[in-house]
Amino acid sequence: MEGPAQAPRGEAGRAASVCAGGRCEGAEREGAPHRSRAARFGLLAARLSPQTPRAMSFRQRSPHGGGGGTKSSPQPPPRWSQGRKRGADGKRRKQNEPEPSVFDESKCAGSDSRLASFTTPEGPGPLSRCSDWGTAVEEDEMRTNVNKEIARYRRKLLINEFARERKSSSGSSDSKESTVAVELETDEVVLMRRQKQINYGKNTIAYDRYIKEVPRCHRIPGVHPRTPNKFKKYSRRSWDQQIKLWKVALHSWDPPTEEGCDLQDIRPVDLGEMETESVGSNSTESQASCQDNDDTCSGTPTKVRHIEYQAEGEFDLEVCLSEPLKDFDTVS
Amino acid sequence: MGETGKEEYKIQSFDTETQKLLKTALKDPSNVDLEKVANIIVDQSLKDCLFSKEAGRICYTIIQAESKQVGQSIFRRSLLNRLQQEYKDREELRTRSLQAWICYVTFICNIFDYLRVNNMPMMALVNPVYDCLFRLAQPDSLCKEEEVDCLVLQLHRIGEQLEKMNSQRMDELFSLLRDGFLLQEGLSSLSQLLLLEIIEFRAADWKMTDAAQKYYYSEVTD
Repeated sequence: MEGPAQAPRGEAGRAASVCAGGRCEGAEREGAPHRSRAARFGLLAARLSPQTPRAMSFRQRSPHGGGGGTKSSPQPPPRWSQGRKRGADGKRRKQNEPEPSVFDESKCAGSDSRLASFTTPEGPGPLSRCSDWGTAVEEDEMRTNVNKEIARYRRKLLINEFARERKSSSGSSDSKESTVAVELETDEVVLMRRQKQINYGKNTIAYDRYIKEVPRCHRIPGVHPRTPNKFKKYSRRSWDQQIKLWKVALHSWDPPTEEGCDLQDIRPVDLGEMETESVGSNSTESQASCQDNDDTCSGTPTKVRHIEYQAEGEFDLEVCLSEPLKDFDTVS
Repeated sequence: MGETGKEEYKIQSFDTETQKLLKTALKDPSNVDLEKVANIIVDQSLKDCLFSKEAGRICYTIIQAESKQVGQSIFRRSLLNRLQQEYKDREELRTRSLQAWICYVTFICNIFDYLRVNNMPMMALVNPVYDCLFRLAQPDSLCKEEEVDCLVLQLHRIGEQLEKMNSQRMDELFSLLRDGFLLQEGLSSLSQLLLLEIIEFRAADWKMTDAAQKYYYSEVTD
């Protein structure tokens, strides 16, 4: 980096010319404000020849004590930080408290006295503080993607509703839902969690093989697994169950080293052997590695007994699989 | 890539083998160790200020390439986590080498400027960037022209965006700058001028007014 320009560029008479009256107009527009450093230093230094009063005026040489009355400038506080409501790092400070350090001691990004999570006023929502930046940005991305998707989904619903209204209303006794009062899931926390669960399922070799083998247009409902629709209202249990069934079904496309690689009908599910799912981060984990203590690493089911689900009697498998999601399939 | 590529990404300062690695990362990211590439880029940006000023661009391209080719973000994750590591140790970095510290701030601001998530700046970087700028506004940094210059340059480049993400912290930062301008002992005249210029710049809504342009940036002829 170049050092600061040593000598002012101009001559002694420059100081006079800087003042209002005698200014010469040879102004050279340099263009963008962040110009090259050398140029800036040169030009700026040119202004500060020793005769220039500007640099000295209003400047208290001695910050201590009142006294030293300069012409009409207001009296500054004795220490630059004393009496300040906020410390150097912007945080409020008690009177006479020594300047807090801007270090952060905690292992989280940001200083330790901050809240566990924060919301910047202009930001989209709460941000978990203790994640690493890589994860935080991935979540950010997921959130904005989800928001885009819901907007798209809503448009689809509207278009669909519009299209249906044009048809004659006599024969519509099919299983399509009435879109008059469809309530969508809009809670960001829920949508993010669901999206993560979906990402786990899609981030598998089985899923890749499935979508290669069976294009969406060739899917047979009830036979081919379909991604649960995260925008629909479901109870937590219902949703989690759909995800489990979906992932189990995808295993039909596991690579040949495991059993049952061919297309099969959905077999009845043994609830006692369901894999559990912990919703962690790292949705873009490479398929070969699993970092967290996440039970569901891609492609490798963990058969853990999950008591809650065993107790479930009310969940209706048939209804879940045959749900008419045809027209509103957002992402497969 | 040829000469234009080298020039565009400013990778001339790397040795030939590293240049090759970077070029492969740009075209065929799945075939390189992206974590290694991220580290190489960060290491270099701490040494070479010219590189750190524009390193965001090469990072952006690699991220896009990786996303397109394999739908993953290993490079971005490695880059950000390495950046975070350096951030945590920034005080030691500054003590060890003022130059490296300045390069780091330049780099992280450039990353903030360039890398977006669905057209939004990265939320996760907002407070860390502010923290770095606040550090530059401390008395012991204001005494050093290089740090003042760095501070002012970053504010010119990303101040407006940063303010949109969190205006309160920007207000607080500028309180510090005003205090520093008025009361700081040991401030060189040039530093004062730089501070005054940025204070005016922000007051004019992050725009250069004609008057300021004339005053600060024009050649004064005899």
